Amino acid sequence: MSHRNSSISNFKRFCLKFLCPFLLLMIFFGCAFQYIFEHTIILKTNIGGVYKVNRIINEFHPQEIAMFGSSRMIQTIIPDMLGPNHFNYGLNGISDNVVLFFLNEEVKKKKTTPIIINLDIEGLNSGLGSIMYYLYNINYKPVQDLVDKEDKPYYHISFVKYYGYFELYLKDYLSSKIELTKYSNKGASIEKNVLLPADFAEVVKRRENSATNFNVDPKLLGNLLGLITKHIDRKFIFVIAPCHPSCFKNFKNENTQLKYIEMLRSYKNVRVLNYSKAAYPDSLFFDTKHLNYNGAVKFSKALRDTLAKI
Amino acid sequence: MAASCFFYMFFKPVYILILAFTIVIDFCAGILIERTNDATKKKAWLITSLVANIGILAIFKYFNFVNSNITGFVTLFNLKNNIPYLNMVLPIGLSFHTFQAMSYTIEVYRGNHKAEKRFGIYALYVMFYPQLVAGPIERPQNILYQFHTRKYFNYDNAVTGIKLVAWGLFKKIVIADRLALYVNEVYGNVGNASSLTMFLAMVFFSLQIYTDFSGYSDIARGTAKVMGYDLLINFNEPFKSTSIAEFWRRWHISLSSWLNDYLYKPLSISYRNLGKIGISLALLITFFISGLWHGAGWTYIAYGVLNGIAIIYELYTKKIRKKIFSKLPVVINTYLSRLIVWLYLILCWVFFRSENLHKAKTVFAKLFEFRFSLNFVQLFASQGPLKFASIIFTLILFYLMSIVSKKLPDRYNTLYIFFLVFIIVIFGENVTSQFIYFQF
Repeated sequence: MSHRNSSISNFKRFCLKFLCPFLLLMIFFGCAFQYIFEHTIILKTNIGGVYKVNRIINEFHPQEIAMFGSSRMIQTIIPDMLGPNHFNYGLNGISDNVVLFFLNEEVKKKKTTPIIINLDIEGLNSGLGSIMYYLYNINYKPVQDLVDKEDKPYYHISFVKYYGYFELYLKDYLSSKIELTKYSNKGASIEKNVLLPADFAEVVKRRENSATNFNVDPKLLGNLLGLITKHIDRKFIFVIAPCHPSCFKNFKNENTQLKYIEMLRSYKNVRVLNYSKAAYPDSLFFDTKHLNYNGAVKFSKALRDTLAKI
Repeated sequence: MAASCFFYMFFKPVYILILAFTIVIDFCAGILIERTNDATKKKAWLITSLVANIGILAIFKYFNFVNSNITGFVTLFNLKNNIPYLNMVLPIGLSFHTFQAMSYTIEVYRGNHKAEKRFGIYALYVMFYPQLVAGPIERPQNILYQFHTRKYFNYDNAVTGIKLVAWGLFKKIVIADRLALYVNEVYGNVGNASSLTMFLAMVFFSLQIYTDFSGYSDIARGTAKVMGYDLLINFNEPFKSTSIAEFWRRWHISLSSWLNDYLYKPLSISYRNLGKIGISLALLITFFISGLWHGAGWTYIAYGVLNGIAIIYELYTKKIRKKIFSKLPVVINTYLSRLIVWLYLILCWVFFRSENLHKAKTVFAKLFEFRFSLNFVQLFASQGPLKFASIIFTLILFYLMSIVSKKLPDRYNTLYIFFLVFIIVIFGENVTSQFIYFQF
């Protein structure tokens, strides 16, 4: 009996002397650290996923021309070269399901500005990119629907939800501020480095040996076409950025891609600008699918001229 | 016991039968050894127990290794080895609980410990989940009696345990996993590394393996402590060793003391007539077995044997070294000795880290190219300057925290644990990586 009593009193002592102070400290310092980190680092990094997801959800810029897409958007188009109102919402590693999320948020806004969308040569697919893009807005329903199975209970706990990502946020922040290896401009983050010819040849060889397949997810296509037809007042400009010729060496179903482009072009409020086979020298590529800074400058100029004619 | 069974079966449920088989054999062998007065029968029961344990270890861990060596050997004579390979996953913690089980029957045989009469208690001795997977390898004298007393919640045990768990997690998640990113990158692309990068990766691996393994030991000890059980201390500041012999008294203490008690001492007694040569032979065999215990591969054997050779060298040169080093100031003597020991271990761990001997050779070739170019992409092992800076920063933090943890009064335990958890959340690597010693 005395053991039992001692055990209970020990447990009470544990709760009062250790557990409660520990939890209070964690809550106080955790929330404080999170607030400071979010407002000085995460939301100040306009090349970062959190900033872009938060901007599309919570900010309204009536004149803004939004540009959505994957790494081929963020690393390829320099917004300031297109005009003063462009913003690059591109994110590394994402696919068209995320682009559709951005599009849905954009068309909710009462705007008539055109929307520029990157079209990948692989078609219309799903890919979330890093979960770190969504953590700040994880409780927003469309984000929850997007994240779906990737959602974990601790993503809904303050401070702890950023576990493992603090360093990556800081890396993005420093990268955008210092611009040591990448050039940043209104959401765009473009590689300044150029691969050595031997290294680039290796990348080209790898690309030539891997097949490119064009696939369209019917559900995503349905959503995209539904959006296009519903928002006839908005102009949807699809852009296929230049690819290295090696990407087409082993392209299994290029005809399907061309038919898809033609299908998109049949919509009145859609334009498709296909630069995929634009003859750019190797020196303008960072790798076979992404341009480097010089390439991005050249391409952005070309795109600006074309957009001016539309 | 139920938690231990669940823990073990979580990995591969059917393997509990193998564990149950050895537990039954060892439990019965212990009782039978104690009951009989006939020395031959005692020995027979001991051998039965050892054969059962070593047999399972041999089948699961060493069969394919021996078979591949037979294949390699007979191929030299243009012959074919028709013995099939076994396609089995190694049961978790096999090497650890096998050695722990063997220590029980040996101790009962030697009369140092009474046979356990309660099957559940003995099964718990082998299966106790905090240390089941990667030790410490317990001894019956230390843990069995603890299972006989009923445990009640105790404040001091709980806080001390949580402190150990938090410290272990810090070592693993913040330090070891961070270092692993660098080490894996360099070892995965040896061709792209410079001698400097290779050396850094070797240094980092020495710290990774220490923080990884000692981190697990701390977590195991902490978890047991919360429940009121004291497990053996497995590490005692090994990098402060001034000789390889001392290192093995500070590193993986539960294994080295096991090998010392059950292998080295009996061997050195048998070879005592040979003098120093006998001791050397006993050392070499012990470290050969130690290497083999770590893994079924020539790299692990090389790792073990190299450590054995170093201790033999220390044995033969003790007087000369003492004479030379005594001329140096004590501080320099100590730090120089520590540095030499560490550098030697760094070289030995190349074998531990390399998948095969050829890879180890490639690593050494790269290191001894002596090309210390300051190419930043190479130096940062493609991880970027921030990751590299964070490695250095967390290592400094680890060093400072090690000092603080020793000197901090108990009344600051809550603050200390809070700080550790806070740091883990901020600097923890969100990667799925096993503890290195889980594979053994």
